[in-house]
Formats: sequence, structure tokens, C-alpha cells
Amino acid sequence: MIYMNYIAAVILIVMGLYTILFKKNIIKIVLGMSIVDYGINLLIVSTGFKEGGTAPVFTIREFVAGTFFVDPVPQALTLTSIVIGACVDAMALALAVKIYQQYHTTNADEIRRLHG
Amino acid sequence: MGITILRLLFYVLIFPGCLFVTAIGLLLAGIDRKVLARMQRRVGPPIVQPVYDFFKLLGKETIIPHAANKTAFLAAPVVGFVSLVVLMLFIPVFSFSAFSGRADLIVVLYLLTIPGVALIVGGSASGSPYAGIGISREMVTMMAYELPLILVLLSVAKMAGGSALCFSLSDIVAWQEAHHSMIAHWQLIPAAVAMLLVIPAEVGTQPFDVAEAETEICEGPLIEYSGAPLAMFKLNTALKMFVMTALFVALFIGGIDTGIVALNALILVLLCIVLTVLCMTLIHAVTARLKIEHLFQFYWTFVTTLATVSLVLVWLGL
Amino acid sequence: MISYVHFPVLAVMGIFLGAFLEEIFGVHNKAARQGILVATTGIAFLLICALVKPVMFDGEVISYWMGDHVPVSGYAIGIGYEIDQLGLFFALLVVTTSLLSSIFSLRYMERDGMLGRFYVLFLMLCGAVLGLTLTGDIFNLFIMIEIMTFAAVALTAFRGERGFALEAAFKYLVLGSMGSSFTLAGIALLYLQCHTLNMAQLASMLHGNMTPVSVFAFGLMLTGLSVKAFIVPFHTPAADAYAAAPTCISMMFSGMVNKAGVYGVIRLVYVIFRAIDLPAMQVLLAIFGAVTMFIGVTMALAQHDFKRLLAFHSISQIGYVITAAALGTTLGLSGALFHAMNHTLFKGLLFLCAGSVLYSVGTTDLDRLGGLSKKMPQTTICFLIGAFSISGLPPFNGFASKWMVYQAIYAKAVESGNFLYALITVVAVVVSVMTLASFIKVTQAVFFGQCPVSCAGAKEVPLSMRIPMWVMSALCVITGVFYNQVEAWFLRPAVSAAFNVTHYIDVMMGEGTAAAFGISNVKAAAASFSYWDPILWLLLFVVVMAATGIVIITGARERGRILTPEGAEEDGKYATFFSGEKSLPSHVSGSDLFWGFKHDWKSYFRVMQGAHSGIINDYALWVVVGGAIITLWLTVFVR
Repeated sequence: MIYMNYIAAVILIVMGLYTILFKKNIIKIVLGMSIVDYGINLLIVSTGFKEGGTAPVFTIREFVAGTFFVDPVPQALTLTSIVIGACVDAMALALAVKIYQQYHTTNADEIRRLHG
Repeated sequence: MGITILRLLFYVLIFPGCLFVTAIGLLLAGIDRKVLARMQRRVGPPIVQPVYDFFKLLGKETIIPHAANKTAFLAAPVVGFVSLVVLMLFIPVFSFSAFSGRADLIVVLYLLTIPGVALIVGGSASGSPYAGIGISREMVTMMAYELPLILVLLSVAKMAGGSALCFSLSDIVAWQEAHHSMIAHWQLIPAAVAMLLVIPAEVGTQPFDVAEAETEICEGPLIEYSGAPLAMFKLNTALKMFVMTALFVALFIGGIDTGIVALNALILVLLCIVLTVLCMTLIHAVTARLKIEHLFQFYWTFVTTLATVSLVLVWLGL
Repeated sequence: MISYVHFPVLAVMGIFLGAFLEEIFGVHNKAARQGILVATTGIAFLLICALVKPVMFDGEVISYWMGDHVPVSGYAIGIGYEIDQLGLFFALLVVTTSLLSSIFSLRYMERDGMLGRFYVLFLMLCGAVLGLTLTGDIFNLFIMIEIMTFAAVALTAFRGERGFALEAAFKYLVLGSMGSSFTLAGIALLYLQCHTLNMAQLASMLHGNMTPVSVFAFGLMLTGLSVKAFIVPFHTPAADAYAAAPTCISMMFSGMVNKAGVYGVIRLVYVIFRAIDLPAMQVLLAIFGAVTMFIGVTMALAQHDFKRLLAFHSISQIGYVITAAALGTTLGLSGALFHAMNHTLFKGLLFLCAGSVLYSVGTTDLDRLGGLSKKMPQTTICFLIGAFSISGLPPFNGFASKWMVYQAIYAKAVESGNFLYALITVVAVVVSVMTLASFIKVTQAVFFGQCPVSCAGAKEVPLSMRIPMWVMSALCVITGVFYNQVEAWFLRPAVSAAFNVTHYIDVMMGEGTAAAFGISNVKAAAASFSYWDPILWLLLFVVVMAATGIVIITGARERGRILTPEGAEEDGKYATFFSGEKSLPSHVSGSDLFWGFKHDWKSYFRVMQGAHSGIINDYALWVVVGGAIITLWLTVFVR
């Protein structure tokens, strides 16, 4: 178990949520979303960690009983999650640019034509 | 099979369907007008006056205004009438009910809204701004009395069901025959009072006639109506008097059963007359029309409190 | 002949393949674009419908391992699809919605550019939601949720020139990705506990074996999926996105995207964690559902935009579904699924009507519309059917399902002796009346009344837009009248599948797995309705209607005449009455209605409108607070 990773993941998630909740600049909100994503990625990849395990890279012939390696599934999940996170960030930033062109501001308090 | 269909047709067209409902409804409307006039020291019209009015209106021209949607304008009163007739088929006349065991409180609750919806759609379809204001008020009235009404229905259902679910009107009547009438149980007296106050709003008599308010908005939803459709709407109002009072009898005074259907029907009619005079004519004679926001407040505070008291009492099993 | 076990995966892959083909061939070529669109959604529809017989009627549960990676020594190592009756029920909703929406979009979107890209996203959305309902792997579920959110956000922003579409998309993206993040964090923690991602295996390992970490994961996932279902307090992006997206997309949002969230919640609570028999779980979801339906409908009453109003109604109706599903009784879940299905039908229909109005008039502002019933008679009829259905008037389908829901809630109240459920019954009925009120408002403001100048040029919409509307109207009536058949054919299998956790596990992980882990099914009494025969009632209605009609016509023939203004344009007799003043066009529009009600509730409305401030930080705060409440509640009460 590597407690440091879990603590760091929680700190990252909380920091990201803090950014989303309290920063008014929409670019910073997008940054907050990606920080939450990084925290979760760290969390996932840590779940597969085993003390002293090797990298899970084998071909069928190399694989012998008793080989000790870290869990490969979380690494695959993390990769997928990173890709998705990158897409979301790209899209959010594109939207932010478009919003700036229309509203001439990045302040979340002024981007509220839809309310009530 | 043939006999079943014939019996069904008899139920639908004669008793307790169209003919019976129409006759008694118009009678109640006539009595209401007569008694009201006597209370105000007028001579008043003859009791059959609503019948004369109905047939006279049937013979008049029906004018459909430019702004109206013809189909909805003409269909609305008929839909209202039909739903009232069907409603009467669901309400048991003491031990007799046309659709035994199929009557259900929630069905009744929803069928009760259809005449109001028909009035609203018809008024809306006529295109008049007076009607627009009228339907707005009718809808607010509906929202106002629906809350106490559902509370009343739930407390009666809980009383009759005990620890089981009982939404069937015939079961509620049967329970009253086995025990006493609901009104004889003190916990339900507030609910009965609340129901008595709901009836005039559902029918739309003064002081709860804000939707039609002749002196302000010229009959509201009915403003563009004439001829046969108007006759139907007037008939619907009369029918509502009978249906609502009959529902009250089924819910609260269901314990009287003589075993003879004709005699039962007679008792029902007498009880309905008493209730009409009590909760519509009397209140009409002594009050003036409320404003719509006061009406809403009245129902959501005073009447709702009464009904809630009953529900809590019944729930606690006192 | 391919065996039907391949159909689900073919349907999902076919739609995604269609998305790629759309990008390659459809960008410039209109015929190819529309052909690919209708072909892919149509094929998916047929493939899923072909599963109805084996799965729904014969009761088979299909398990399908991708690449034939079957479980090794009790551990699922591949990605598996598992199609049980519950999943198929939602899949049917998805394919029906996407087919009808794609047909509607053919003409509706004709004035927009970039349609090739639009349909890529359109098909991605369909495929993602379909995959979500069929999958048996929890990470696959997350991927599908992400694709769904991503496509939905992009589609919301599609008409970016309209000003607020970008804003709506941005809010949806922020909140949606917060929901996804919660789900993903929950999945990671679950993986930490069980080292598997297969739903069936998770179900077998979790029940009776809940550690604090898995309860915490449960809370996170429930929050994430509730964000996707737009339950209050997570509903705020829904209202914005539904109003801003093109209408065929709004229809898909309310018809399948929020259903995906509902499906996720049901699957999570009923099957994976098998926690529905805990009273604390039931109370939590029932309260959330009741709050959702109430806040949704009151906010809808305050709206003056047609589509935004419908959006708030979607939120409100999902409240019914969640409340009924929360009861954990057979009747409750039947009501929930039935209402979910009906919501797909009538809300889709209403959105299509709104789209038709937008198409022919160019605005959905209730204060600028009016008198369209003469210009668009068919749309008006469809709208009225939809409005009566959602308000629950008999004999339409909304009545049948709401009736089940009320009975279920009140039966729960009587059974458990919990007064809370009695109150929720009352709330449900009052909400229904308010729903009726706000649709009266729309009817008066849009279709009846007098025609303002801006609506003078309106025309009935083209046939390809009317067909989906009529299909949905017909379905609204059919499912309302023949609800016994719907119950027997679709609801009963789906409901028993939701309760039959052991079978779900055994099919996927091999016979006897559930017994080995000591899993038993949730005990639920068989559904008992006090049956009411709508066909009899309909027959009566027709008989009486005919009788009355005959009386009126024969009575009117001799003396009374029906006079219509045709050919008598100048006759003052046909003008609207104005107390003797000259008749001028004047219309009671949406904002003018229900004055007394709004007056009495003005402080409530002020608070609620202040709460829906439109500021993204506030909405994010709602999500975090709601998530915290759910997680805390579960941590304290669920063992």
C-alpha cells in the first residue's frame, strides 16, 4: 500500500473541486476539471500497485507461473481516462474561446443569460 | 352477452347514466335557484326553470367566432358532459354500483378534473381575452382545491383500509355498511367539512365562481359560447352539483342501505338536495365573491388544515 | 443466419460505424448523409426489436463476452455484454427515440450548415446510450457515459450562433464531467475492493460484504449517475441544455439521455449493490424524487420559453420515476418503468411539437406566440395528446402510469406505516395538477387565442416531421388503453429481472455462483392492481359521445344552426366580444396566466429563481453538496 499516493489523489481532487467552486474565470474552471481528472487518474493507477511487482509486459511464452507483476487493468483504465480527460479539456477550452468571442468576458458571473 | 350489453346500455343511458344524472342535476339546479331566491326574499323562478333554459338554448343559433378553433370549441362541452356521466357510473349508489369493484378513487379524482379541463380548453379555443383570464382563474381554482381533495380521499381510504391499501369506492361503501358511516367517526368530521367546502369550488358557485365572474369578466370561458354548446356547459354545471354531492354521500354517508335500488336512489337524491342547499345555496346567499388569490389562500391554508387534521388523526389510529 | 446473441453488439457497433461513415461520406453528400443516418438507426431498431421475443417473452438473459474472453476460474477478465429484460426495456426506448428523432431531423435541420458533423455526433450519442443499457461491464458503462456526455455537449453547442447555446453547453460540460469524475472515482474504489469490473461479479462479491470503502464508492457512483439523470439538485444543466439544443436533440435528451441515468441508478441500486431492500435507501431516493418532481414543476410554471418549460417538466417527471423506483416494490418499479417509457413517448412528442413551432415561426418565446391552432392543426392535435398524456388525464398513457405510481407510493405508506410516503403521495398528485396547469398555459399561449403578427406566416410542418409526431401520439394512446398488455409483455419481465439478482449473476459468471456467494433475491410481493378496465371505459366514452352528438345535431337541425364565419368576413357577429369596443387583436399570453397562484407563491418563486442563478460555480456547489448528502447518508445508514 502506498498511502502517499492516495493522500495526494484526494488532495488533487479537493483542489480541483475548490477551483471549480470558487474561481470565477472559466479558464480556471476548466483547469479545475483537469486537476480533478489527474487526481482520479492517480487514484486508479495506485489501486493496481503492488510492492515489488514488475511491469505487466509479457508475451505468452515469457509468462511463467509465479511471476509477480502489478495489476495491468488499472493502467489500461488510466490510459483510457487520460484520453477522455484530454478530449473534455480540449472541448471545454474550445467552448471557452467561443464564449469569450460572444460575451467578451471570461467571468462566470457575467455568463448567465440562462437563469431562473 | 346480449343481456350484458343491454344492461350496460341501460346503465349508461338511463340509470345511473345520462337520463338520471341530467334529470336530477337540473332538479338540483332548480332547487338551488329557488331556495336561494327565498333566502334573499325573492319569489324566484319555478323549479323546472333550468330545464326550460336548457331546451331554449338548444334551439338557438350557435355562433363560432373568427378567432376560435372550431373543433376544440365544439368538442369541449361534449367531452365534459361525457366524463361527468362516466363519473356517475363509477360512484356507487349505496350498495349498487354500475361497474362493481372497478371504481377507484384515483380514477374518480382524475375524472373530476376533466370537466374543468374541458371548460378550460373550450374557453381557450374561443380566442377571447376575457376567456383567457377566465381559464387562468379556473386553473388556479383547480390547483387550490385539489390539495385538500386528495388529503380527504386519502384519509377516507386509510380509514376504510386500515393497514391495507383500499382505493375502491365500493369497498369504502361496504366498509361503512359493516361499521358506521364515515361521518359518524369523529376523526373524519374535519375531512367532511373540508369536502363540503371543496364542492362549491368544483361546481363553481359563489363565492368561488371567480372563473366565471359575470360582473368582471363576463362569464370568462363561456363568453363566446351560444346555442347548444352553451346549453351543454350549463348542463355540465348542474351535473357537477349532483356528481359532487353524490360522491360526498358515497364517501361519508355510505352506511344507509335499504336493499331496494329505487329507494336507495330516492334517499340519495334527498341527501343530495340537503347537501346542495347546505354547501352551495347557503354559502352563496351569505357571501360575496372572493378574489382569486384569496381563494387560493383559503384552500391551501384553512381547508387543507382541516383535511390534514383528519388524515393525521386517522393515521395515528385514534 | 447470425444467431440473435450477436444482435446487441452489432446494433451498438453498427451505430458507431455509421458515425464514421457519416464523417467520410456524409459531409458533402446530402443523400448519403440522410441514407446512412436512417439506415443505421433503423437497423439498430430492428436488431433490438428482434431481441424482444427471446429475451422479453421467453425470458432468456443473453451474456456475450467480447472476443470470447470467458471468465477464468471465477474472475471476469474480458468485457462482457449482458442483456437482461431491464436493459432491453431501456434499449427499446433508446432505439425508438433515435429512429424517430433521426426521421424528424431530416427536414428540421435542413437550414443548418455542417450537417455531416452534426450527424456524426448524433449517431455517437445514440450508440453510447444504447451501449450503456446493454453493457455488463462497469468501466464500459463509464466509457459510454463519457461518450454520451461528450456528444450531448457538442450537440448542445451546435447552434452556437443563438447566443446561449455555448453557455448551456459549457455548464453542461462542467457539471457532466463532474458527474463522470464521481462515477470514475467510485469505480476505482470498487476495483480496489473487488478487483473486477464486471457488474455480475461485483454484485456477487459486494452484497453482505460491504466495507466502508465500497459504501463510499456506492455514494460516489450514485451521485455521478444522478447527475446524468438530472435529479434535483443536479438538474440545472438539463434546463439550459434542453432549451438550447436543436429540438431533435432535446427530444433525445429527455427520451434517452436522462433515461440512461435512471437506468444506471436502477441497475446500481437494485442489482450491483442490491441495496433496495434497505429502508434508508428507499427513504433517501424517495425524498430526492419527491423534491425533484416538486421543484421541477414549480420552476416550469415560472418559465416563458416553450422548450425551457418542457425541460423543467422532464426533470419533474424523472422525479416520479425515481420516487416509484425507490419503493423497492414490484408495483413501484412497474410504475417507474412504465412512467419512464411514457415519459419518453409524450415528452418526445411535446418536444417535437415545440420543434415544429420553432421551425415554422422561428421562436419559442411563449409571450410572442399565439393562435397557431388554425395554422398548424395537426401539430395542435399532437400537442394536445401529449399535454393530456403528461398531465395524466384518462385514457392516455400518463394516467395509467401515474395511477400505478400513486398506488405504489400509498401502498408503501400503508404497509410501512411511514407517514412520509403519504405526504409524498399528496405531493405527487399536486405536482400532477400543476403539470396540467403549465400545459394549459402552453396551450393557451401557443395554440389557442389570437394570432400575433409574428405568427401570421406560420404553416403546417412537412410530412417527414409530422410522421414521428403521429407515431408518438398513436403510441401514447395505445399504451394508455392497452396498459394491461404493456404490463404483461414488457414491464413484468423487466421488473422481475431487476429483482432476480441471482439469475443475473449466474448467467454471466456460471451457474451456482450466486449461491456460492450466498446471494438471495430481494423479496418483493407480486404486483397487485385494483384493475380498472380502460377499454370498457373507452367504449362507454364513444357510446355516450355518439349519443350526445346525435342529440345535438338532430336537435340543432330544425331551429338552431351552427354558423361559421366562412363567407361572412365582415359580419360583426363573429368578432370577439370586447364590451362594445372595437375588436382589436389581443392575446392573453403565457406570462399573464395564473396570476393569483403566482401572487400567493411569490416569495417561493423569488427564492427559487435566485437559486437558479445561472452562475456555474453555484451549480457546481449544488452538485458537491448533493453528492455529500448522498454519500454521508449512505455511509451512516447502509451497512
